[in-house]
Amino acid sequence: MNTIPTTKPRVSGLGPQLWLAIIGIMAIGVMFVYSATMANESTNISAWYRQYYFRQIVFYLAGGAVAFVICLVDYRRIVRWSLVFYWFAIILLILVLIPHIGKVSGGGRRWIDLRVFQLQPSEFAKVAFILALAHFLGRPVEELRSPPVFFKALGLAVLPFGLIMIEPDIGSAFMFLPICLVMLHAAGAPFRFVGRLVALGGASVALVVAVVLFAPAKWQSKLPLYPRERIWVYFGRDFEMPDASVAERLKVQRDKRYNSEQALISVGSGGFTGKGWRQGTQNALGFLPRAVAHNDFIFSVIAEEMGFVGSVIVITLYTVVLFTGIRIADEARDRLGRLLAVGVVTMLFSHVFINIGMNICVMPVVGVPLPLLSYGGSSVLCSLIALGILHNIHIYRRSY
Amino acid sequence: MLIIDQIRKNDVPLRHLSLGVLTGMGVLLVGLWYVQIASAGKYAEKEKGQSFRTIRIPAVRGKILDRNGVVLAEDRASYNLSIYMASLRPYFTFEYTNVVRPAFLRAHGGVKPKGKQLEDLELMSRYLVASNSAYNLGGLLRTQISLSEKQFLLHYERRPVLPLPVLENVSAAQVARFEEQPEHIQGMDVEAQTVRVYPFNTLAAHLLGYVTHDDSSKFDEESFYSYRMDDFSGVVGLERAYDEALRGRAGVKSVQVNRLGYRHAEQIETPAEAGSNVVLTLDYNIQKAAEEGLASHGSNTLGAVVVMDASNGDVLAMASSPIFDPNRFAHRLTVGEMEYLLDPKLEPQINRATMGIYPPGSIFKIITGLAAMEAGVLNPEETYESPGRYPLGKGIADTAAPGPYNFYKAFIKSCNCYFIEYGRRAGLARLQDMGSRFFLGQTEGLGGLRQESSGTFPTPVWIEKQRQQGEHWTEGNTAHLCFGQDRLTVTPLQMAVMTAAVANGGTIVWPRLVQRIEPQEKLPEGDSSIVIKNEVRGLINVNPAHLEVVRRAMLGDVEDQIGTAYAAFHKRGAPVLAGMRVAGKTGTATVDYSKRKIVWFASYAASEDPPMVVLVMVDYGSSGGGTCAPIALHVYQEIERLKRAPKSRTPMKGGIL
Repeated sequence: MNTIPTTKPRVSGLGPQLWLAIIGIMAIGVMFVYSATMANESTNISAWYRQYYFRQIVFYLAGGAVAFVICLVDYRRIVRWSLVFYWFAIILLILVLIPHIGKVSGGGRRWIDLRVFQLQPSEFAKVAFILALAHFLGRPVEELRSPPVFFKALGLAVLPFGLIMIEPDIGSAFMFLPICLVMLHAAGAPFRFVGRLVALGGASVALVVAVVLFAPAKWQSKLPLYPRERIWVYFGRDFEMPDASVAERLKVQRDKRYNSEQALISVGSGGFTGKGWRQGTQNALGFLPRAVAHNDFIFSVIAEEMGFVGSVIVITLYTVVLFTGIRIADEARDRLGRLLAVGVVTMLFSHVFINIGMNICVMPVVGVPLPLLSYGGSSVLCSLIALGILHNIHIYRRSY
Repeated sequence: MLIIDQIRKNDVPLRHLSLGVLTGMGVLLVGLWYVQIASAGKYAEKEKGQSFRTIRIPAVRGKILDRNGVVLAEDRASYNLSIYMASLRPYFTFEYTNVVRPAFLRAHGGVKPKGKQLEDLELMSRYLVASNSAYNLGGLLRTQISLSEKQFLLHYERRPVLPLPVLENVSAAQVARFEEQPEHIQGMDVEAQTVRVYPFNTLAAHLLGYVTHDDSSKFDEESFYSYRMDDFSGVVGLERAYDEALRGRAGVKSVQVNRLGYRHAEQIETPAEAGSNVVLTLDYNIQKAAEEGLASHGSNTLGAVVVMDASNGDVLAMASSPIFDPNRFAHRLTVGEMEYLLDPKLEPQINRATMGIYPPGSIFKIITGLAAMEAGVLNPEETYESPGRYPLGKGIADTAAPGPYNFYKAFIKSCNCYFIEYGRRAGLARLQDMGSRFFLGQTEGLGGLRQESSGTFPTPVWIEKQRQQGEHWTEGNTAHLCFGQDRLTVTPLQMAVMTAAVANGGTIVWPRLVQRIEPQEKLPEGDSSIVIKNEVRGLINVNPAHLEVVRRAMLGDVEDQIGTAYAAFHKRGAPVLAGMRVAGKTGTATVDYSKRKIVWFASYAASEDPPMVVLVMVDYGSSGGGTCAPIALHVYQEIERLKRAPKSRTPMKGGIL
């Protein structure tokens, strides 16, 4: 196809490692969604089919089925529809912003209530974005050297990024940036573009942080409150609340830091071997808020109950999945497959890193689920779709 | 290998991605290592700190028993009906969502409560639920029960883990009525507490002392508790003196709480160790007789009785009047009770037997007589012609008529002139020496009770000290000292010890109140009781013949028709006591030439082995023979009765349910 060798003569079988790791992760997921939710009395008494762990199993099965169906069709045929998926996702992202359609929860208007299922458009937008960007960057590498093409690629990311920021859901929005950058890099976009972009992005983030932390209050009021609070919490800064008394300010500060502090206590108190499955107290006694224990903070529950050993197991399983993904990217038969695989790997990695990072205070607390472990239909479904695509690339690596 | 292969690739972007992923995972692993291994202890501590509360559990305080095992003070359970917050919690939520919130929404046209408003509404829901429970309880027990909002909220805020008492000190019948309900009133349950109980109320109250709630930590105890449940500490008396043995060691209980502070689970960390029992030398029956004796003179008699085994110093009774009820200190005192306790004349809290200091009057003539005989200036058979008023200064009055007196007659008629004459002949130094042999002016070693005085005895040192303050000792002072007046004060207990020495042949004993300290639960092997031995303080070292003269005279004081105590011990010429022979000496001291008379009767049962000393003192009495001797007689009668019926030595436990 072109000068860069994208297919390798050595084509070996993948072995069952990818799906073994995925099944391992899902097994842990069921176990700990159970542990995280069954301590709550009101959950405990509801019917078995309405319980979180059961619903999670249903999501796994549904996601697995979708992934299977995806594997039946050559990814190139799927990618032809990528722009349709992309614009459909954009429409959903616009719809979710409209009151009465979008449901407010956790500080943002993020969900569309479909009765049986809470749809989170931002999750689907990530997958659609990977497909669209891979499709767009699949063109000959020389074209990527022209700035208009490069900026169009950037535009594909900026649109969903902006819409999700409006919700607001900073975590999900920022997910688009690493995916976009890594895919551009993998596609062979000139380094001067990608490098400048990284520099620019870094500089603007640094500027925002600097303004929030050090600039006078007049400048700050231009920024929305939500991201400012995240930054204050992360850097352990006193909140700036001009109308509040000291006691009120301390209370707000304590409340805002509460989740990350309790997550850290959960993880730390797990020690080496943990307290044992369903023996964790942080969740059972409600210190780790029940609203987040089974989704964004599921890792705290795992780490508390299985200790460092459990943490290492989880990290190992993810590492297996990610490196298998990189190998699939390596063995893909064309640039499209390679870019798709890179996109999926980057997406999964970003989620894992940010989510576990926020459980141990390495990253600020933003609403990012842990792929396949966190409870949540949209997240589970999208993760499995992404993994299905990954496997698809592997299956069709040889068929010209 | 999977990872190494990917990094070795010469595909630059994929190598970057591999390195990026590897670095990221490495950062997470190091972070997790740091949190879960390196700082695990810190976070485990934090986790425990926020989910555990320690509660101090007080130990059961030891009993105080008389010599026959009659319980004079003990801890007993008292029952409260209390609200347990954790079990009310579902009702709080129900009340809020179904009653309080809808009412608010109706009143505010559907506007949802926010912030402070919301908090207030939630607090109101909780209070409504709790006060409703209290109201239902009142209906069940047919009593008026009110739970103030302030009281409830304060408890809810400060110590939600502990039950909130709604009705304190309920009777057994009320507990039964509550328990027999098929369904308990929501969140309400019986809570047991301990109170210190003195089953015989006022009996030996001064000696036993009383306790108060104590919230200080003992030195060997953990000093921090999230919540502490107080135990008692002795304020005065034996409760105070043996406080350490009685109180035992408090234990620790830890309660696991959830984020809202409700009780989740609990476990005993250190069990409380019960305090030891203190077994006294006191005899319940004799003590009772002594108090009855004092009471027979009038309810607000100011006086004291000490009954002592002369052979070893065991105190069988120690009574002081007026009395008070130490049980009342467990509750809030009424104004009337307070006024009574603080009455400056009655001073009911004073243990007059050990703390009250009084001039001994004529009973001091025992010492004067011994001093004169030992000095060789007094021949008991020699006759002295009493002038009726001793010629010194303006003259010293005497109640005995003028005429001839030998020692015997002078002693039983209590002739002041006789004793002044021979006392002066012996000289001040001899009197001082004899008084010191009886340890006058010194305490009897009961400092732990916090209720002991030493009295004053004019030793050379004391006289010198007075002189430096401008108070010169005169011949008149010496003359008054001879019959126990003026510059001399003693406690009834000191006089009991003096009488015991006469009775036992010259040995000064240390008074003993406690026989032994024993564990509440007898252990199968090994007796860990601590026995407190009787101890001799000293010997008076007088010629036994001289002592015998005194003893004979004391017997005559009771048995001779002209003796001052004869009337009290005889009825129509026949002795009231059946066979028991009592020897004694009456005394009357006037204070500051006023009408106030302090009257005494120092006596012992001469026919008994061991001889029992009964010492009676009444302030504002009429005469030793008229006021004190009948009180002593009552005690002797009881001793006789007990001797005749030894089987009944362990009396009923009166006043116990």
